[in-house]
Amino acid sequence: MDTIYYLVLVPMIYLAFFVFSVGTIIRLINIWRKPKFPTTLQIYPEKKPSWLWTLFDTFLLNSARRHNPVLWFFLMVFHFCFLLLIIGHLELIKDFRILQIIEHEIFLGKGFIGLILSISLIFFLFRRFVSPTKDLSVPEDYYLLILLFLAVIFGSEMDWARTLYGYEEMGVEDYRGYLMSLFLLKPDISFVDAPGHSFMLVLHVFFANLFLMFFPFSKIIHSFLSLPLNKLRRG
Amino acid sequence: MEEKLREELIKLFESKLSKPMQMYLETCSRCGICTPACHAYASMPQAKYTPAYRAEVVRRIFKKYFKLQGKIAPALGAAKVLDENTLDELYEAAYSCTGCRRCMVYCPFGIDTQQIMSIAKLLLIGANAEPELLTMLADVSVSKGEGIEDMKESFMQGLKRLEDQVLEKWKMEAGEMEAGETPIPIDVEGADLLYVALAGAHSIIPAAAVFNAAGEKWTLSFFEAVNFGAFVGDPTKTKLILDRIVNEANRLKVKEVCICECGTAFRVMKQMSGSQPFEVSSITDVHAKYIREGKIKLDKSKLNLPVTYHDPCQIARNGGVIDAPRYVLQQLGADYRELSADPKYNWCCGGGGGLVAMGDETHDFRMKSAKVKADQVQQTEAKILATACENCHAQLSDISKHYNMDVEVKYLSSMVADALIQ
Amino acid sequence: MSDEINVDKVMDLKGMPCPMPIVKVSKGIKDVEVGQVIQAISTDPGSLTDFPAWARTSGNEILKTEQTEEEFVFYIKRTA
Ligand code: SF4
Ligand code: SF4
Repeated sequence: MDTIYYLVLVPMIYLAFFVFSVGTIIRLINIWRKPKFPTTLQIYPEKKPSWLWTLFDTFLLNSARRHNPVLWFFLMVFHFCFLLLIIGHLELIKDFRILQIIEHEIFLGKGFIGLILSISLIFFLFRRFVSPTKDLSVPEDYYLLILLFLAVIFGSEMDWARTLYGYEEMGVEDYRGYLMSLFLLKPDISFVDAPGHSFMLVLHVFFANLFLMFFPFSKIIHSFLSLPLNKLRRG
Repeated sequence: MEEKLREELIKLFESKLSKPMQMYLETCSRCGICTPACHAYASMPQAKYTPAYRAEVVRRIFKKYFKLQGKIAPALGAAKVLDENTLDELYEAAYSCTGCRRCMVYCPFGIDTQQIMSIAKLLLIGANAEPELLTMLADVSVSKGEGIEDMKESFMQGLKRLEDQVLEKWKMEAGEMEAGETPIPIDVEGADLLYVALAGAHSIIPAAAVFNAAGEKWTLSFFEAVNFGAFVGDPTKTKLILDRIVNEANRLKVKEVCICECGTAFRVMKQMSGSQPFEVSSITDVHAKYIREGKIKLDKSKLNLPVTYHDPCQIARNGGVIDAPRYVLQQLGADYRELSADPKYNWCCGGGGGLVAMGDETHDFRMKSAKVKADQVQQTEAKILATACENCHAQLSDISKHYNMDVEVKYLSSMVADALIQ
Repeated sequence: MSDEINVDKVMDLKGMPCPMPIVKVSKGIKDVEVGQVIQAISTDPGSLTDFPAWARTSGNEILKTEQTEEEFVFYIKRTA
């Protein structure tokens, strides 16, 4: 059992981050090496300044709001919460002054963010079982949602469990110790191997690792491509 | 399918992979937001008519041959081998899409389904499975350009016969005509404007009358504007047909190239001719300019029926000519009604992408897929449906017959010519 | 109209805008045998350039072109 814990918590994390970053960079370089398109791909009428509208389209999902408001609501909530979670995880490595501009406790959200994410994910998943979205979907779409759902559920469970059962042993400081050790390439899992609680961490990390490794080969690359594509449309 | 052919097709595919294309193919999240955007789907709700499904037909091949995912775990993205079956799917996808790009407005990433369909069309050409008729028309068009010297004579003869009809619409006094000037000038070096028409009387006569009325120093192109190469999606032929107009314009040293009422011709000329010493404008733009500058005067009392205007996709949403037709109609004194509150959401007529040129073959599909268009027009209760594209005109006329609509489909340029005040 | 040319099929294309005349003829020519002749009548002046170009690309032969006040008449022999 300990071996499995170790494998997931140390080598697999390294592997996941390696695959994620190298894969993503290669994929982006591949795109950037392709020839330019000789002419415009803009949609009219145009609105100036186009870069501002591009940001608007990209980050507020303007067209989704207009054409599918319910989906838009969940998309916004989902992406925003995802962003918060990234911040939350960064803060589990160390304090970032700049992230505390709006003061909050670490880990932010008390597990509610994870809950909201799970609900959005379930919504996305259910959509895909109903036509016409069902007819468009391919296995990748379902797997990604399920992977994310599992990662998120076990992630937020860690926080919930702590408040419910009054676990004291695995708190922010312990995670920091563990993540910092990973970061400094001196992996030490003794911070987080408390019996009874760490299995959630292991499961959370396991699914998150899978997701990270899937990332460069999947449609999630849209997180990088949405901005340039929207710029093309705005001209 | 033979291995050799498949390899060739994959090479063709690769030739289409520009930066935007690669991004279009990598990005779609299959969210389905674009689903209601397509008139084909809105008229006939079947999955195969949704934009993302069409694109996915191409994307599956992309995954198979160009993506690691498709090579390692093809099932994940439902990657597909390129074979006869896939070719049939490509045909169905590409030739039920008019390339209107309405779905691009809906998509949160702005994925251009028309671009993706251009891969499908190219693969079909490579496999000799494209609509024969379109290739025939493209070949005829190319050949006309090559044999232009032999045909000049008969072309000029044909034009001579139209002159009286031009004069009927706009009389040119003997004094007004400088030496050698004719109602339809052709091959005039140093003219200001080169007018590229279609090879038909309806595209030449009204336009000529308006040019003459405005006192424009113009000359008619030997070539026809329509680019059948673009319809069938053949980049080489598209370029051949385009280039000879560009060359003619440069030879005659004109300042402006004005494209007749043909959406594809306008967009190809405007966006693909590169940087040239001349401007490219649509005939609607030019007419609006004449009115604004007081060069022509229009009788405002002629249109006493409610009018609506169909924005041809390639001219408005994809070409940017939106205000000019509205201004012209207002100057014609029209009781004007918008088809769609925001012109970028106008429904496609359902005839683009070569579907109209394919004639009877596509008639059934064109009529069924244009149900939403017919409804949209009828809601305005307009009696005159103006438009500025040959393709749209033909399709809208078919629709109005098919759905028993009480509208008359008219060319905007003809309406201007008919309202000229001498 | 023509004494020496033996017409096997007449196609009335009057009033059709370009490129419908050649579209129709390219279909119609499949209904006659190689060596037979179609007489096509159109009113669109564009046909004057369309027909010769089409004949060249499709490998058929235009035997004769006649022009009357209103119409253009083409005699096309199927050779391919
Ligand atoms: S371009 Fe137009 S016809 Fe083609 S899929 Fe998009 S909406 Fe439909
Ligand atoms: S809206 Fe865009 S991302 Fe969504 S399914 Fe359609 S093409 Fe794909």
